Amino acid sequence: MTAVLAPALTRRRPPFSFGRWVEREGVFSWLMVALPVAFLVALVGYPFFYGIWISLQDRPVAKPGEFVGLDNFIRAWHDPVFRQVAVNTIFYTAAATLLKMVGGLGLALVMNQDFRFKNLTRALLLLPFIVPTVLSTIAWQWILDPAFSVVNWVLKAADIADPGPSWLGNPHLAMFSLIIVNVWRGLPFYAITLLAGLQTIPPDLYEAATIDGAGRWGRFRYVTLPLLMPIIFIVTMFSVIFTFADFQLIYVLTRGGPANATHVFATYAFDIAMGAGQFGQGAAIALSMVPPLALIILAMAIYMRAPKS
Amino acid sequence: MALSSRQSRRDVLKLTAYSTAGALFAPSIARAQTKSLTMMHESSFVPPYDAFFKNKLATAYEKAKGIKVNYEVVSVGSLLTRVTTAAENSSGPDMTAIGFNWAFLFDDKFLDVTDIAAEIGKESGGWYESAQESVVVNGKWKAIPFGNIGQLMNWRTDWFKQAGYEKFPDTWDELLEAGIKLKKAGHPFGFELGHGFGDNHGWLYPLLWSYGAREVEPDGKTIVIDSDETARAVDYCRRLYKETMLEDCLGWTDVNNNKAFLSEQISCTNNAESILWAAKKDFPDMAKVIDQSENPKGPKGRFHMLNPLCHSIFTHTKDQKAAKDFLRWLMAPPQAGPWLDIAVTYYQPFLHAYDDAPMWKVEPRNLPYRDALKTSHLPGWPAPLSRAQSESVAKFVVVDMFAKACAGKSTKDVIADAAAQLKQIYRA
Repeated sequence: MTAVLAPALTRRRPPFSFGRWVEREGVFSWLMVALPVAFLVALVGYPFFYGIWISLQDRPVAKPGEFVGLDNFIRAWHDPVFRQVAVNTIFYTAAATLLKMVGGLGLALVMNQDFRFKNLTRALLLLPFIVPTVLSTIAWQWILDPAFSVVNWVLKAADIADPGPSWLGNPHLAMFSLIIVNVWRGLPFYAITLLAGLQTIPPDLYEAATIDGAGRWGRFRYVTLPLLMPIIFIVTMFSVIFTFADFQLIYVLTRGGPANATHVFATYAFDIAMGAGQFGQGAAIALSMVPPLALIILAMAIYMRAPKS
Repeated sequence: MALSSRQSRRDVLKLTAYSTAGALFAPSIARAQTKSLTMMHESSFVPPYDAFFKNKLATAYEKAKGIKVNYEVVSVGSLLTRVTTAAENSSGPDMTAIGFNWAFLFDDKFLDVTDIAAEIGKESGGWYESAQESVVVNGKWKAIPFGNIGQLMNWRTDWFKQAGYEKFPDTWDELLEAGIKLKKAGHPFGFELGHGFGDNHGWLYPLLWSYGAREVEPDGKTIVIDSDETARAVDYCRRLYKETMLEDCLGWTDVNNNKAFLSEQISCTNNAESILWAAKKDFPDMAKVIDQSENPKGPKGRFHMLNPLCHSIFTHTKDQKAAKDFLRWLMAPPQAGPWLDIAVTYYQPFLHAYDDAPMWKVEPRNLPYRDALKTSHLPGWPAPLSRAQSESVAKFVVVDMFAKACAGKSTKDVIADAAAQLKQIYRA
């Protein structure tokens, strides 16, 4: 009996072939996803959850941790510097992102025109984005030093002010200066991305709008802006995340001074974790960035998914 | 062993010869591998100092003991991060340079070197008391002090003379008086009040102490920053800032005062020996009119900042004895002497045998750095070493107390802020 059935069975189910198994869609798609997922788990997931675990401990450097629940978060909440840091970060992010958005859109619109040396200009535009932040920031350090600043030099030469403003020494001006440097560095990212978006808008839409009697502003308001909206949102989302977690620029220029006027979450968390060797507290401060960021991203995602009328 | 047709007897002989040779050499190679040590250091402001270790000391040690010593240099400001990484992962260099209270922070990860510290002290005239302040943890030496990078007053003798001062003012009040005159003459002062690593703490803690104020009592628990003495120091600092300094000082980090001094923007600052060093190299004319002096006296005395460079051995090192032997060798006068010499007192030794060493005669203007060792303390003094001490420094509690006052906040408010922060930090 079995002897008779055996050949029939093998005919119905061919011997296992690894190659064929891999080619099945269900298997293949999972295989393709597995690598990036493993990558994300190892480099993003693990540190993130480890960070949460550490933030719940009193964990001094080079010593074992002790579970303390939410104590680090409660301490941060009662720390006056932490509150100042929160306000600074939000102000810094809002102001810099807004300026980058408006400036980037303007720059993209200009770059979208036809003019001589268009490609060269576009390439040069990317420069602030390409130069390593630490290097360009050191250049800014000279620009913002009243004794060597070109701005102060001009003011002095024109007899307007001597020695001129203290860009990093005055608490308000320091925040303003950092925002300017951040905008300078971030503008190309906005401009180039929006320029790419602009170029995907079909010209016939503009022609149709012109025939319908739309002027320059009308074409921008009813054709360009709505079609560019999704890209503006994506870019803004990225920009908010980068600006919120900015570290290098501030660390090189002021390290959070004067008197914490420019301290943000990233610099404060670094000082507490690395300077003071308090990993638990540092992690708690760094993690405090997550809820506001998540809220912003969620709000933007909802806005983008909402059906447009 | 069965020989295949292609293998000849000669091949077998060769193979045997190679394996015998390999067996003979292998142990010596293995021994050489365990006998290499790595010392981590922050890139020195005095480049010949780093070069001397690499080219002279390491070579001499390899010749004498057959142990290769690597010298790993990290960039300025990143040493603590690197020590943290090595300690947390229990891997990396065998020995490291440390500063401030790191011997306490990394207590579990550093080897007890009390025995060689005693030998070194006996050999070289005894240790300065201030040396022990930063390295003795629970009665054990966790590092061997090498030298202090003192922070003193750097000033322009020509401009001070024009204002009527032949000598550096002896008290803070006289300094204020001089500063007012000098600022009027177009030569303001410039003391760091921002978030740098050292030049801010370097004068603000001594200022606080010299008025009789402190953050914490020696018990390490009782917060005493809210005092009349602190208020007087804060009031003084506000006046000194407003009446003698550049506005920009509030945002300065450690590079700014050097830059301002060397570009003739300021007539006085608090700094290590680096300004005079750089001036002698790049601006020899200016170097002739620079002098260095101890910090001025306050109502309760004269103080300085302890900024020690010490050497520790990580417990994770494979051969603890080899590392200890090396440190012992390094600190013996034939090695430590020339190494200190090459930096010409940039590192002020903590051993009395060097009190009258020839290097002090090379540049007598550096002598105040030696004398300042007796009145030098770590931030947080007179409380013992603690985690809270580090946290207070990392949060710039004292620096910002003064800086906020300079930026316009009332004395009462800035002290209240500092007291609230310190109470949280010291969990009082």
